[in-house]
Amino acid sequence: MKRYQDIAGDGGSRILEQVAAQRSRIAEGLAGVRHLVAVCSGKGGVGKSTLTLHLAGALRARGLRIAILDADFNGPSQARMAGVQGALLVPGSDKVALPRTRNGIAVFSMGSLIPESEALEFESAAHGESHTWRATREFALLGEILGSFEWGALDLLMFDLPPGAERTVQYADFLGPRASFLFVTIPSEVARGVVARSVAALSKGPNRLLGYVENMSGYYCRDCNAIKPLFVSPEPFGHAHPSTPLGMTLSMSKGQCRPSGLEIPCLGTVPFDPELARRCDRGIPLAELTETPVGRALEDVAQHLLDSLESTTSASAHASRELRQSMEPRP
Amino acid sequence: MKFLCVPCDSPMKLQSVGPPESGSLSVVYSCPDCGYEMAMLTNAYETQVVQSLGVRIGPERDANASGSGCPFPGMIPATGEARPGQAAEPIPVRWTAAAEARLANIPEFVRPMARTGIERFARERGALEVDEQILDAARDFFGM
Repeated sequence: MKRYQDIAGDGGSRILEQVAAQRSRIAEGLAGVRHLVAVCSGKGGVGKSTLTLHLAGALRARGLRIAILDADFNGPSQARMAGVQGALLVPGSDKVALPRTRNGIAVFSMGSLIPESEALEFESAAHGESHTWRATREFALLGEILGSFEWGALDLLMFDLPPGAERTVQYADFLGPRASFLFVTIPSEVARGVVARSVAALSKGPNRLLGYVENMSGYYCRDCNAIKPLFVSPEPFGHAHPSTPLGMTLSMSKGQCRPSGLEIPCLGTVPFDPELARRCDRGIPLAELTETPVGRALEDVAQHLLDSLESTTSASAHASRELRQSMEPRP
Repeated sequence: MKFLCVPCDSPMKLQSVGPPESGSLSVVYSCPDCGYEMAMLTNAYETQVVQSLGVRIGPERDANASGSGCPFPGMIPATGEARPGQAAEPIPVRWTAAAEARLANIPEFVRPMARTGIERFARERGALEVDEQILDAARDFFGM
């Protein structure tokens, strides 16, 4: 009797062919993108979305072509922060145009489509069993978005990932070896512990782990122009600057990160600035904050991110071939 | 999933897919050698898992005709359409065939939301028909 592998095709349902066609469409859609960077953590509430948007802004200010895909379909925040809430999806002759921020960053976010008072819903006849199919449906939707929109020629496509260590691994599997990962943590042992699990999980795969950013690394007090601690840490807070009150540095760069135990490079630290939070809530660009500690810190991180990406450029052609191979139909 | 006619040792071919009923599909396969037919009846969970891949289930000619996408549009109310308690749009807006063809480029899940937004854009400009000019105007308006 014939076995599964003895039979070519699947009798006409073409499900495997359709999945392969989806993957080909994704690969074609991303062919003009130089770097895929997934901003992740594993931990929620550490500022992935804020860093994604403002790193994108810092890179855009350098003339790079940037797009953001808010992959947190269930908790999208990029639409509000980037000021594209209510933006239309307008179809072209082949692909769909992406909404853009005032400074030219293309943004896809479910928040442009679904009001904040509503949740993302997929209708299903399998009532009460969403754990069996929901992630599959969301990744299929991600694939449709990657294959349907005009990503065009980009220097960076940044993915703002949802929290969850297991989700981070799922995105790595879905995006393939071409995607690099940037982790975000905060100076909390609890957060670092969760991020460390995500790093450990991704370390087993082929994706490049670019490093991590320590967000909320102190609180910037505008009244006294100093950075004060947000979290109590037993470790020294970087290198003190003699002119800074409380012995805090106003911005710590790549070489000044405190030990994290994450075993990946630190690309910098970014203090919490209430003004930045206010602008995020209102969708106001960061441009006017470039001369503040948080602005300078983001500039530093952006530079280190670029340095890290450029160091892998020579390997990117190889990765592209791997991506195409990974998009080939699987038996 | 593949089906084998054991007496003939021949792969069976998909013949038809019955419309979903309470989440169940009736997928009929037949043996090309002896003509024996069998039906695979899915439960709602099985149907949903396969549908979640974003593929279409059906004989090859149907799949070619409409490409990938949800095979059960009737099962899925259009998200973004008027819901109970919401005011319906007072003025219907027509779509030209060319504009509809372009709309089909939008992923099916978010298409109703995109349609609603574009129709609103057209109404705000006094247009009761969405054509390619309206779509191009929307692209320009949003700096796309």
